[in-house]
Amino acid sequence: MIVRIVFHIDLDAFYAAVETLQDPSLAGKPLIIGGDPRRRGVVASANYAARAFGVRSAMTTARALRRCPQAVVIPPRHSLYRQVSARVMALLGEYSPVMEQSSIDEAFLDMTGQLPAPAAAPETARQLQQEIQTRLGLSASVGIGSNKLIAKMAGKADKPGGVTCVAPGAEAEFLAPMPVRALGGIGPKTAQKLAEIGVKTIGDIARLPEEDLSRMLGANGLLIWQFAHGLDARPVQTRRRARSISREITFAHDVYDAALPAETLKKMSRKLAHRLQKRDLTARTVTLKLRYDDFSTVTRSITQATATNSPADIDRRARFLLAKYRNQARPIRLIGLSVSRFVKGVFQPPLF
Amino acid sequence: MKISCLQENLAKGLSIIGRAVANRSTLPVLSNVLLATDNDRLMLTANNLEIGINCWVNAKIEEEGAVTVPARLLTEFVNSLPPERIDLALDEPTQTINLRCAHFEANLKGIDAQEFPRVPSLDAGGEIINLEPAALKQLIHQVTFAAAVEESRPVLTGIRAEFQHDRLAMSGTDGFRLSTKNIPLAHSIDEPFEVIIPARALAELSRIIADQEEPVQIAVTPAQNQILFHLNNIDFVSQLIEGRFPDVSQIIPKGHNTHTVLDTASFLKAARVSYLFARDAANIVKVDVTPGEDELVGGRLLLTATSQELGDNISELEANVQGDGVEIAFNAKYLIDVLNVLDSAQVALETSAPASPGIIKGVGDDTFLHVIMPMHLSR
Repeated sequence: MIVRIVFHIDLDAFYAAVETLQDPSLAGKPLIIGGDPRRRGVVASANYAARAFGVRSAMTTARALRRCPQAVVIPPRHSLYRQVSARVMALLGEYSPVMEQSSIDEAFLDMTGQLPAPAAAPETARQLQQEIQTRLGLSASVGIGSNKLIAKMAGKADKPGGVTCVAPGAEAEFLAPMPVRALGGIGPKTAQKLAEIGVKTIGDIARLPEEDLSRMLGANGLLIWQFAHGLDARPVQTRRRARSISREITFAHDVYDAALPAETLKKMSRKLAHRLQKRDLTARTVTLKLRYDDFSTVTRSITQATATNSPADIDRRARFLLAKYRNQARPIRLIGLSVSRFVKGVFQPPLF
Repeated sequence: MKISCLQENLAKGLSIIGRAVANRSTLPVLSNVLLATDNDRLMLTANNLEIGINCWVNAKIEEEGAVTVPARLLTEFVNSLPPERIDLALDEPTQTINLRCAHFEANLKGIDAQEFPRVPSLDAGGEIINLEPAALKQLIHQVTFAAAVEESRPVLTGIRAEFQHDRLAMSGTDGFRLSTKNIPLAHSIDEPFEVIIPARALAELSRIIADQEEPVQIAVTPAQNQILFHLNNIDFVSQLIEGRFPDVSQIIPKGHNTHTVLDTASFLKAARVSYLFARDAANIVKVDVTPGEDELVGGRLLLTATSQELGDNISELEANVQGDGVEIAFNAKYLIDVLNVLDSAQVALETSAPASPGIIKGVGDDTFLHVIMPMHLSR
């Protein structure tokens, strides 16, 4: 089997860095990009000078200012960050055609076959880092590993401005001392379950038999066990422009009643609407996906002349589909909702 | 049961009831057509529980009786027969009918007629209202297109029918546009009432009214859950929709700043042309109204549609404009739909602001009114 070489590139304190490029006088000062503290705004990003005072993303701006009163607060300018992000991604694309942008300031590059020799990876990473710095004035951290999981974890190990390489074969050892929460897929609840049986580090997880973990965590058990051993087969996926946005969830137990699916759709509608709104899109089609206990799966959709991005509209269409097409005789195992047929920048407001 | 009738009559009857046959029903008998002798005629019935139709066909009755047989099979079989006499006989024990016509013969397995939900006739209803068939068809034509096709709000798939003392007013809306129209009743009624009729049922009714000349008789069942229409040799029954219809008077704008009059046919033609481009761009067509400068330079209306990929299109129309100029964007499809059903030679467009609903009506016709919510352009 070919050993893959994956880079994870993470721009350091990205929003703050972009703002500092716009206004160099901010350099070195604690800087918070976030909402108005008087309106319960939250921190979207902060530079390292502010982080030194304990400012973290997602805390309220008011609380951040109590920790660091001298910080400069700037409201986020997302369109500006998107522009700069697009330039970074274009630059990354020059290094490998197999690129996956995972957020506005993070991306994976599959460098397998793109390097003169596997050993040249760290040097290439530093060259890439240097190029981002000189061409765009931004600092980035790079993690190198044999898969996406390891590359991302490696990148986090030395921020800002680091290059960290985990050699093939050393993955499990690299992860072993980290707390379980550092692993993707482990939230507070799972962490607590694990802590109850004395599992605190990723190494502890790796020592558990796979069956025990699966019994404890269900379907996620196997994946977490593999992650803990540094195994991750997910490919670096070049994303095309999304033609639909979807969410789905597998219920913990097969669901017979009507209330839970309806409630779930309502939540999903809100999230889908929010994502549409963020991208200034409206959608004409709403699709419902149902998988029953016997794994039979149906998808049904409704397309209307007028596009929408309102949570109430999406929810109403989703529940209409549920009411019309749900097979009452079978319990539901999975429910999914997606919106598609996007229309950009225009909106047909309702008459009443 | 033993009867004979002409192939043409049976085929016509089956085509009339055809749309009331259930497509996929949990109740197999609803995919069947009921054949029942009724005095000296044969009655055909289909009922999908949304709409139901009885249709009487001339026949020679030798033995009375009733049975149901698969509608689709019977219709396709009868349609393939030559225009000659059909002999039809029911074998009671097996509920199988035998059909013979020329050198064709078939046996169709049926289901007991007792299991078929009958469609009520007019005498089951309350007060009977008479309507001029051509006017009713026009009423349906000018209103039903604005109803929602398959909406999550079921009430909007219906048409509100208000039976006032001497008029019948109908309104349809899909939430983005509203069409409303009224026609006179043949004679006034004592107690006004209103119901919500599925738009699909009305469209179907309009189809089977065809070119009948006798008045259409209408009644609502005492339980207020069905509406009955009686035509020549036909009963048409539709379920009513329960719920609250939006308050139409609240939706219709009270005033306007710009009143634009133009030729209906030219406006429709221009809207169709702009749709060729607009359909690629969320159906947006921009309407730009400019008042005339003096008696020599009249007002005009510009229709613009732009597609990022395909190109753009501008149509300029002469218009009589009273009031201020205005720029407003509409869904081209909505414009075409309403202009298509207008029967006045001139159309009036009344607007007040780019984000406020516009009114479209025929000049000289105060029985019809259409409201469209404009589109919002974010840049």
